[in-house]
Amino acid sequence: MTQILLVTLLGFTSAGAYLVGARHLGLSRRGLRAAAGKVIETLGTTVVFAGINLGLGLAIALGARTLTGTFVSTYLLADPAWLLLSLLQGLTFQWWRECR
Amino acid sequence: MNPVPVLRLLGLASLGLFLAVAFSPLPNAATRLLREPARLNPADAIVVLGGNLLGGGTLDESSLRRAVHGILLRQRGLAPLLVFSGQTFPEGPTEATVRARLARDLGIPPETILPVAGAHTTREEAARVGAALRPRGIRRILLVTDSQHLMRAGRLFENVGFEVLGAPVDDLPSDASNPGERLQLARRAVGEALARLYYRIAGYL
Repeated sequence: MTQILLVTLLGFTSAGAYLVGARHLGLSRRGLRAAAGKVIETLGTTVVFAGINLGLGLAIALGARTLTGTFVSTYLLADPAWLLLSLLQGLTFQWWRECR
Repeated sequence: MNPVPVLRLLGLASLGLFLAVAFSPLPNAATRLLREPARLNPADAIVVLGGNLLGGGTLDESSLRRAVHGILLRQRGLAPLLVFSGQTFPEGPTEATVRARLARDLGIPPETILPVAGAHTTREEAARVGAALRPRGIRRILLVTDSQHLMRAGRLFENVGFEVLGAPVDDLPSDASNPGERLQLARRAVGEALARLYYRIAGYL
């Protein structure tokens, strides 16, 4: 039920945004395809940052345990905040590339 | 080299993975592969593995759920001794003592409760609980943790000489039906798979 509601809701708002963009703002379909491509590219950049953050985090936690005897929990990486921050990094890097 | 094709491929793959995880029963199937079933039979002791202790000495949901499950098993008379493991912090109460207090408040006789503190990992829990229980002649234990964690935890406790009966308790359904639950299940499944891989490489399993 939640799933159907979610998909239906997103379907409506996406269709509404398309109508507003195409009819009132004069945006083109080609522009929408290009924007979708940029979103996918940004996702890919985010994945790169997330992978680096996760790998470094694990290395630091396990390295600290092995080299210093200090316990650092790997469950810190279970906090979803780092994923959102990786998304911010991805967005920032992507726009930086666009503004070159 | 133009990174755009690689980034788009990564982005498409991650979007596809997100949709497959959130909107299909894939996480449920992965969870079922990682789970150990319950074997609720009489034992020498009930061992409740740690979860997390939040600020102010509050048990997080996982820790509380495991503690309550252990208390219920004790009340059913499945073992004469209730052992609580858990995290220790530089200040404040340990997770084990907070759970022991909860058990006493729920009517479990204090002399049948044993808090074992000081462990940070499952492997350390197995070592410390083993050191505490083996001198008492305890061999067969009911091990309380979540069902995905039980396979790895059970092997570690077997390695220190126990016969392990699984007593899993979960805070997420194994047949998750909405995207949020499926994403959480998937995150846990990946975390547990990585932990098992690390333990295998390190030679602990």
